[in-house]
Amino acid sequence: MMKKLTAIILACVAFTSMNATADQLDDVIKRGTLNCGVVLDFPPMGYLDENNEPAGFDVDYCKDLAEALGVDANILNLTWGDRIPSLVAGKTDVVIGSTSDTLERAKSVGFTYPYFVFKFQVISNKDKNIESFADLKNLKVGAALGTTYETEYLAYAEQQGWGKDNYTSFKSENDAFLGLYQGKVDAIISTNTNIATKLQSDEFSDFEAGPYVPNYDDVVGIIAKRSEVAWINYLNLFLIRQIRDGNMNEAYNKYFGSDAPADLIKSLRDNK
Amino acid sequence: MEYEFHWNIVLQKMPELLNGAFVTLHVSVLAMLLGVVIAVLLAIAKMNNSKPFCYVATVWVEIARNTPALFQIYMAYFGLGAFGIHLSPYVAVLSALVFINAGYLTETFRGGFQSIPSTQYSASKSLGMTSIQTYRYVILPQMLRRIYHPMTNQFVWSILMSSLGILVGMSELSGTTQRLQSLSFRTLEFFIVAAVMYFIITKLVLFGASLLSRRLFKGEI
Repeated sequence: MMKKLTAIILACVAFTSMNATADQLDDVIKRGTLNCGVVLDFPPMGYLDENNEPAGFDVDYCKDLAEALGVDANILNLTWGDRIPSLVAGKTDVVIGSTSDTLERAKSVGFTYPYFVFKFQVISNKDKNIESFADLKNLKVGAALGTTYETEYLAYAEQQGWGKDNYTSFKSENDAFLGLYQGKVDAIISTNTNIATKLQSDEFSDFEAGPYVPNYDDVVGIIAKRSEVAWINYLNLFLIRQIRDGNMNEAYNKYFGSDAPADLIKSLRDNK
Repeated sequence: MEYEFHWNIVLQKMPELLNGAFVTLHVSVLAMLLGVVIAVLLAIAKMNNSKPFCYVATVWVEIARNTPALFQIYMAYFGLGAFGIHLSPYVAVLSALVFINAGYLTETFRGGFQSIPSTQYSASKSLGMTSIQTYRYVILPQMLRRIYHPMTNQFVWSILMSSLGILVGMSELSGTTQRLQSLSFRTLEFFIVAAVMYFIITKLVLFGASLLSRRLFKGEI
């Protein structure tokens, strides 16, 4: 009797300890839902469509990933600042949120291979006539808080000796565009894709896209918990197959209206 | 928990955090001082018989007390911005905090004024004091003593509410914390340090208030 009981207890212990080695990939498959974080105020990568449903390039990637895993996609709307807390707290399994892959951040969070490359660009009122980045000198410039273009602008401004007085940061991408629209700032810095989308709307008909931030390609990856190496492996293969299977081109076509440029594909393969 | 703390990045960025903490202290102390002065005037106006003053004070108090601080800060920044009035993030947050502080403190002060027996007003009058002298030497000292504790509560609220400045891109303690954590993604570390700093700031302000009160009220709190 005693022996049997011990055997059962041992079996239970063995079972639970086996369970404890289940990693994120197992968890997602068992749960049957992929909790995928996306920043939804960053068109065309992530936004809410006219039916208030999440849409965009990143959202399609979430759905493709869920389909590959054979689970349902649960899209969670995040702000830029929420991306890491949501991973640490386990609210998201993965964040497909145009996260720039800096080495500093990679100390805290696990990055996949790049899945997109942006350019940082200036948008301003047409009458400002901004030809080069140096023309921003005496203008009021803004950007969204906690973004890489904020960091890039501030570094550039410091290098030029401009100081921070002319700089305003906004809580979100939408607020930055609102600030520009209201004239709180003369120019803001955002990504080329977001600017191109905004310029199509009537509100921004008096505005134009200006110069790019010098010498900077914004290479972004998918992020997950740093410790989940097997999961990140899976995501890497997923990204490779997105290109190989044509899903990447399909999503690009859907949101940018053309085939994915060859230099973008090349850059993604080179940066890997 | 499998989280590994990295504190060295926080130490590196300490000067920036302290800078942010200073802005928080600065804006909330200024908002309190202005709020107290306006609240005294509003409380007197509210108890006044003259209709227009009473009306303005009532509207102020009702709006300040019954709408979220978040909304008021947003209104001061983007709301006024829609009419072409551009306040800097600092001024927008300051004016919203003054508005809220004044609104809440008005009711506190009115309660304080009304707790003072009306016979004292008559007594002062019979001593030949003007109404300003009556308030300055008789009513206000007693009133402030009575509402000291509720008033300091509002002070603490004011400091904590200034963290909403992040909404309009103000680089106070929360805004700085948010920016620094997004550079390094060491979220938990920066948030913990920011929370400790808020705690210290509130304690500092309360300590300052109690020093001041000892001088003002001669140790009778």
